[in-house]
Amino acid sequence: MTHHNPSEDTERAIKVHVTQGESHVTTDPNVVMTTVLGSCISACIRDPQSGVGGMNHFLLPDSGDGRGTGGDAVRYGAYAMELLINELLKKGARRERLEAKIFGGAKLFDGLSDVGASNSAFAERFLRDEGIPIVSSSTGGVSARRVEFWPASGRVRQRLVAVDNAPQDVRRPAPAPMPAASSGDVDLF
Amino acid sequence: MPQASTISVLVVDDQLTMRALIRNALQQIGFKDIREAPDGEEALKNLLAKPANLVISDFNMPKMDGLALLRAVRSHPPIRQTAFVMLTGRADRELVQRAVQFGVNNYCVKPFTVQGLREKIEQVFGQLT
Repeated sequence: MTHHNPSEDTERAIKVHVTQGESHVTTDPNVVMTTVLGSCISACIRDPQSGVGGMNHFLLPDSGDGRGTGGDAVRYGAYAMELLINELLKKGARRERLEAKIFGGAKLFDGLSDVGASNSAFAERFLRDEGIPIVSSSTGGVSARRVEFWPASGRVRQRLVAVDNAPQDVRRPAPAPMPAASSGDVDLF
Repeated sequence: MPQASTISVLVVDDQLTMRALIRNALQQIGFKDIREAPDGEEALKNLLAKPANLVISDFNMPKMDGLALLRAVRSHPPIRQTAFVMLTGRADRELVQRAVQFGVNNYCVKPFTVQGLREKIEQVFGQLT
């Protein structure tokens, strides 16, 4: 857990919500980025020295080639990561100092292929290939995630969300056994 | 109709993943002579040492970006005629206009499909076999 930073007080924080298909980068220490993830993945990437950080949020369709390099899904994922990394570099981050935390990739839909797992595998492989260390991650499982990321400190607060309490776009389409009940706020990352 | 297997290609992108994706797409189209460079500076050195028929280049790269590479290629007589396809993001209309001014042959918007890339290359070389 990182030390307490006054800019992380809720009253002063400038919240930026990152939805699917978006990415956002900032150098403002008062910004906290938020997102809600089901099968989607968010990469939170920052340069600790320059204080530049950002988050993306993407979902690759299941192409059956999520771990390879040939599928259109992977091309889309590489583009989503590239957008974030290019913006970080433009705002002053140095590639060799970048570090990442990844979240999401849950399996919320029974009976379908595990698109969340292939999304996680893609993100892990991409970051490994590009030489960007993953300093922390929380992926998989059956719960949605509410994620808050403070780019200045690198701190992430994750809260598991019972699927039925999650926003519509990450919710299960039909009633199914409940995952573990919504837990309290836990600083894990 | 030109054979893809006889056209030499230099792929220029700072991301290893993107280079692998482009190489994979080119191989599916039928290209065999494929080289890679991680930025414009390396690409220019590579081309001057051994010219290629086609350059497929990203725009955002360290050291020398895609536009600077395009200008350098067009200003070096031995490689001036190299076909040049620029890869761009969705919102890069202005970049495309500048690239056209500097003599780009075509551009391809990321994220692209294999068929999309094929069509862009065929608009330059004619239908590939």
